[in-house]
Amino acid sequence: MSEVIPQNAGYMVAAYIVTAIVVLAYALSLYRRTRGR
Amino acid sequence: MTLASRGRAVTVVALLLLVGVYVRALMFTPLERFQGAAQKIFYLHVPAAWSAMLAMGLVGLASVLYLILRDARFDRFAAASAEVGTAFCVVMLTTGPLWARPVWGTWWTWDARLTLTLFLFFLYIGYLLLRQAVTDPGVRARYSAVLGICGTVLLPFIHLSVYLFRTLHPQPIVLKPSAPSLPGVMLVTLLYSFGVFTLLYVGFVMQRYAVGEEGAHV
Repeated sequence: MSEVIPQNAGYMVAAYIVTAIVVLAYALSLYRRTRGR
Repeated sequence: MTLASRGRAVTVVALLLLVGVYVRALMFTPLERFQGAAQKIFYLHVPAAWSAMLAMGLVGLASVLYLILRDARFDRFAAASAEVGTAFCVVMLTTGPLWARPVWGTWWTWDARLTLTLFLFFLYIGYLLLRQAVTDPGVRARYSAVLGICGTVLLPFIHLSVYLFRTLHPQPIVLKPSAPSLPGVMLVTLLYSFGVFTLLYVGFVMQRYAVGEEGAHV
């Protein structure tokens, strides 16, 4: 019997997008607060 | 070169390396046959959890040092580390349910590991709110230090919760007494991501510390 790999890439894509948004938003927030220093 | 600009430089390097994590994890790391693509969430979730715990551990250490030495730099570092740790906690608490839904069939379950991790997030939020609520710098630093130490006490319970309680959460695969139980290519991706998230933590804290330093001189 062949194994079927679960098709759940949507969750992976969502997690990678959410991580990028949180990290970039925080990096931008720090950039704005430290700008000119 | 100021601390803020050095922190920005470290952050830019870390962000570029994070792109490398995405490319390596998505294109050059094989699919896990039982969990499918959702398993790749692990390369972000676990390092984010590591950074959130590292941040709280260093909040606790800086808090102890502040209470002993009464040096305001430790208080500023603790404040910086707590804010950065909150950001990583958000990543951990969003990527976790996104992995759990396809693998466990539920977004969330109130087992020990997940509940204690949520408690850590609430401690971070409480810590930041406390710092906003108390205006006297000395009192704020002392109260925050006590809360920071309480947060650190939670960390071993979070790590050991999968051994102490019956839980759905997977057991540690790298930070455990025996050798890591991952195929080499997956382990390399995970360790690379650990390094990148740690570097991101350093860059963020350097910048956030510079913001606190500026506030202290006003």
